[in-house]
Amino acid sequence: MDFIVDMQGLSKTFAGRSSTVHALQDISLQIEPGEFVSLIGPSGCGKSTLLRLIGDLLPPSGGGLSVNGKEAHQARIDGDYGIAFQKATLLEWRTVRRNIELPLELAGVPEAERRSRANDLLQMVGLTEFSDHHPWQLSGGMQQRVAIARALGQRPPLLLMDEPFGALDEMTRESMQNELMGIWRETGTTVVFVTHSIPEAVFLSTRVIVMSARPGRITHQIAIDLPQPRDLAVRESPRFFELLTDVREALRGRTGTR
Amino acid sequence: MLAFGIVLVALVLIWEGYKLLGAATGGTWPFTDIEMRPRPGNNSMPHVWDVVASLFAPARRGGEPLILTLAIATLYTLREALVGFLVGALVGFSIGVFFVRSLAAERSLMPWVVASQTIPIIAIAPMVVIWGRRLDVPGWLAVAIIAAYLTFFPVAINTVRGLRSPEATATELFHSYAASSWQRLWKLQVPSALPYIFTALKISAAASVVGAIVGELPAGFADGLGRALLQFNQVFSADPAKLYAAVLMSAIGGLVFVGAVTLVEHLSLPARMREAAA
Repeated sequence: MDFIVDMQGLSKTFAGRSSTVHALQDISLQIEPGEFVSLIGPSGCGKSTLLRLIGDLLPPSGGGLSVNGKEAHQARIDGDYGIAFQKATLLEWRTVRRNIELPLELAGVPEAERRSRANDLLQMVGLTEFSDHHPWQLSGGMQQRVAIARALGQRPPLLLMDEPFGALDEMTRESMQNELMGIWRETGTTVVFVTHSIPEAVFLSTRVIVMSARPGRITHQIAIDLPQPRDLAVRESPRFFELLTDVREALRGRTGTR
Repeated sequence: MLAFGIVLVALVLIWEGYKLLGAATGGTWPFTDIEMRPRPGNNSMPHVWDVVASLFAPARRGGEPLILTLAIATLYTLREALVGFLVGALVGFSIGVFFVRSLAAERSLMPWVVASQTIPIIAIAPMVVIWGRRLDVPGWLAVAIIAAYLTFFPVAINTVRGLRSPEATATELFHSYAASSWQRLWKLQVPSALPYIFTALKISAAASVVGAIVGELPAGFADGLGRALLQFNQVFSADPAKLYAAVLMSAIGGLVFVGAVTLVEHLSLPARMREAAA
């Protein structure tokens, strides 16, 4: 078994004052190294919660979970994943370069190594000229690129992304998707990507996981067989639109054409 | 600076205008027999130029000019205020960190911290001075402790608030890096708290000067501003300009102090974060 993420009957409940909320119920999902998996579903389906369970930012209420072959807690301690949120969450007193260096600094990586790694990452996201700028001097898309570079600092085998492009305009969003595809191919990292945009999920993923709400469950898994590398031609291909329909139907609770 | 000058000129004009009006009507509001309060006469409201002149006249016959006496007194008081400010800021910051790290400590001790500030400083000051004497603490240090008493509170409250200001995702981010709680404190919480802390430090800088002046009264110091203010208060009806001159000097002392804190803030925080704090 060499799944990078392996969930068996995972559940999560939040105990409220008067009632208990079943955020996730009986989630079983295996992700292989190198996959790009999107979690899609209506608000309240627990897709962000699921991402946080993988990242050991929340404890599960029941079931089994292993990340990179270890307990989720150990995987977090070992820096086995990088994470990016909808808000870039950059530290505004740090320059772009020093934001990217932050996780390396916390892990005790020596300064010279930090610098050279930051240079590589800056180049990868195309922000070399902006290395000495502060976050507020950057556009939303650029801030998100810094956040992605930061998440890749320790070359993690797993990248967790919680609606990272959700706050961006459509044009920026598509160009960020193209960039992320490039980074994914270049680094070979596994990506778990939370979104509520159907085209985004279909364009990026090798597999789309469709969830439903109350309680949060996985209802469909749709393999995306679009050719790699994904480019504009893929976006305009008939197969792309067929898959959009499949995901949309699945979200409506019907069985798709597949 | 220009804006400050304009306001200064406006205040002088209002002061002197009020006096002129009083002189024209004989001390009543125009077309009424309602007396103007404060009285516009020279006994309550000396001319601005008289106040300035009194600064440059000798305080005693044949002595040094008043401004020199007051400047020395102001420096003396500012030294006490500065030591009190530094001690109070450090204590306040430490309390803030302690409270944020331990909810139990905050719940059990915060009411006492708040209660400490409801006790008037004039009740605390003599006690501190007397206890200080018994323990052979130098008088100026006892006064500094009184200044610290006024300083620590705003710093403690704002430190607590500032340390809690990072957004949830920033805390999650540090958690995902498996950062230690001290790393999170120094690399996330303290930098996020700085705008809040500087706001508190400006309040505290002004409060510490007041604390030092009030503390000097029971200490019976002849050297500080407290004594000068008390002394000129007693001769107010005969020579009001002197008290105004002393008030002017203590205000300038406070301004210099707050200005110094603002300067440090400007040097240590990017403009973006200063705006966020205001």
